[in-house]
Amino acid sequence: MDHEALTREMRGLREQVTGVTDTAVAAADGLLIAADIAGGIDPEGLAAIAAAGLGLARRTAEATGRGTLRQTVTHGSQGCAAFYAVGETALLVVLGDEGIDVDRLHEEARPALARIDAILTSAGAGREPAPAVGAV
Amino acid sequence: MVTDRRISLDRVGYGLLSRTLAECGRDVATGELRVSGRPGGAFHLRGGLVVAVESPGAPGPEALLLRSGRISGEQWDGLLREPGAGRWPEAGLVAHGYAGAAQLRVVRMMALQDAVFAVVAGRVDGVEPLAEPSGSGPLAPVAVGESPLRLLQEATRKLIALAALPCPVLPDRERPLPASGADADDLRLPPTRREILTHADGRRTARDLAFTTGRGVYAVTVELARMLAEGLLRCEDAPPTVLPFPVRTPPTGALSPVRQFVAMAPEDPPRPEEPAGPPRPEEPAEPAEPAEPTAVVRLDTPRKLPRREPGASGITETLAATKSGAASWKGFFRLRHRIWTPDSGT
Repeated sequence: MDHEALTREMRGLREQVTGVTDTAVAAADGLLIAADIAGGIDPEGLAAIAAAGLGLARRTAEATGRGTLRQTVTHGSQGCAAFYAVGETALLVVLGDEGIDVDRLHEEARPALARIDAILTSAGAGREPAPAVGAV
Repeated sequence: MVTDRRISLDRVGYGLLSRTLAECGRDVATGELRVSGRPGGAFHLRGGLVVAVESPGAPGPEALLLRSGRISGEQWDGLLREPGAGRWPEAGLVAHGYAGAAQLRVVRMMALQDAVFAVVAGRVDGVEPLAEPSGSGPLAPVAVGESPLRLLQEATRKLIALAALPCPVLPDRERPLPASGADADDLRLPPTRREILTHADGRRTARDLAFTTGRGVYAVTVELARMLAEGLLRCEDAPPTVLPFPVRTPPTGALSPVRQFVAMAPEDPPRPEEPAGPPRPEEPAEPAEPAEPTAVVRLDTPRKLPRREPGASGITETLAATKSGAASWKGFFRLRHRIWTPDSGT
C-alpha cells in the first residue's frame, strides 16, 4: 500500500473541498488505517462508528428497496459527517463544518473513492511503514 | 517561518462574475446566480439587486448567531419548532429577546458582504446562467437589495487592503499555529486574538477559524495577517519527506474484496441450524457489524460463526430426566415434537 498516495488523497479532499475539516480511512470492519483528524475526536472510535453506520445504512437501503447505498450523511447544527464505502474493503469518513457544500463534497469524493480503493487493494511497494512515520 | 505569498485577484474569474452581475442589474433580473470555483457561492437577485449571497467560504447568518454563542443550539431548535418559523426564525428571535431586529439586519447584511468577499478572494471557475432559486431559496435575504457592482467593488477594496498588509493571508490558504511564547490565556490580548490562538492549530484556515468562532471571514483574515506580522502566529510547512499523518498498514498488507473470501471458502457456509449467538470469549469480538464485508486482514483466519457447545442448552439433561420418567412410547412421541431438528421448519 502506498502510504504517501493515501495521505495525498485524504489531504487533497480536505484542501480541495471548502468546509472539510477531517478525514479518515478504515477497513470495512472498523479497523482504522489512517486519520487526518484534529484533536478532540477519537479516530479509532470514529472508524468503528462509521463501519457500524454504513452497515446499518446498507441494510436500511436493502430493506426499504432504495437501491445501492451511495453514502450516509449525518447533519448536525455545527456540520456533518459523511461515510462512504470504499469498494467492499474499506470506508472513508469525511467531517465538515456547517459551511460545506455537501453536493460538491459528493462530486469530489466519488473519484477519490476509486483512487483510494486502488491504493488500498494494490499490493505494491510501500507495505512497510516509512521509517519517518510511526504507526498509529 | 512566515509564509510570504502575494495576493492577486483572479482577474479572469472576477471579470466574468462582474460582467454577468452587471447584466443581471441592467435586466432587473430575479433569480439565483451560481458561481463555481473555490469556494464559489450563489448570488440571489431580486429586481436586479442582490438580496443574499451564500458561500461555503463565509459563515451565513445562522452560523454567525450560533457559533458566536449569541444563541444556543437548543434555543435555535426551539424557535424552529414554532409555527411559521421557517428556516430563519427572525420573528421568534426578536420576540424571545435573543436578538434585536436591527442587530439581525446587521447580521444578514454582514453575512452577505462577507460571502461576496469570500467568492472574490477565491477562484471563480464559471458562472452559470441565472436560474430559479434552487431548493427553498436564500435563508435570510436582506429587505432592500444591494447593487451587485457596488458589492463587488467593496469586496475588491477589502482584498486590496488585505494585500497591503505586511503578512498578507488568504481566507483559504494559510493554516497558522501559535508562535512560541504566544499564550491564548494571556488576558492582555483582546478576546478575538485569544480565541484565534485557542483554535489555530496548523490545520485551520482563516475561513475555518471564522466558522469556528462565528465571526466574519474578512475580519478573521485581517486579524490573522496582523497576528502573523506581530509574531503571535506562525505558518509552517511540513518537510516533504514526512507524511502529514501516520498510516497503519493492515496486518496482511493490501486489502482485497470480501467476495474473494466467499469464493475461496464455499465449503464452509454458515450452518442454518446453529444460529449466531454471542462470540465465545476466546474468539476476538467483532468491532462492527458482523454481516459487513470483512477486510482481508482476516483471510488467513477463515471467518466462522460462533459454534455452540454441545449440550450447553441443557436440553440433554431435560430429555434424560423426562425419559427416565416416561412410562411408555407415548411420552417419547410427545417429546419428539419438542426437539428441534433442521428439517422441522421452525
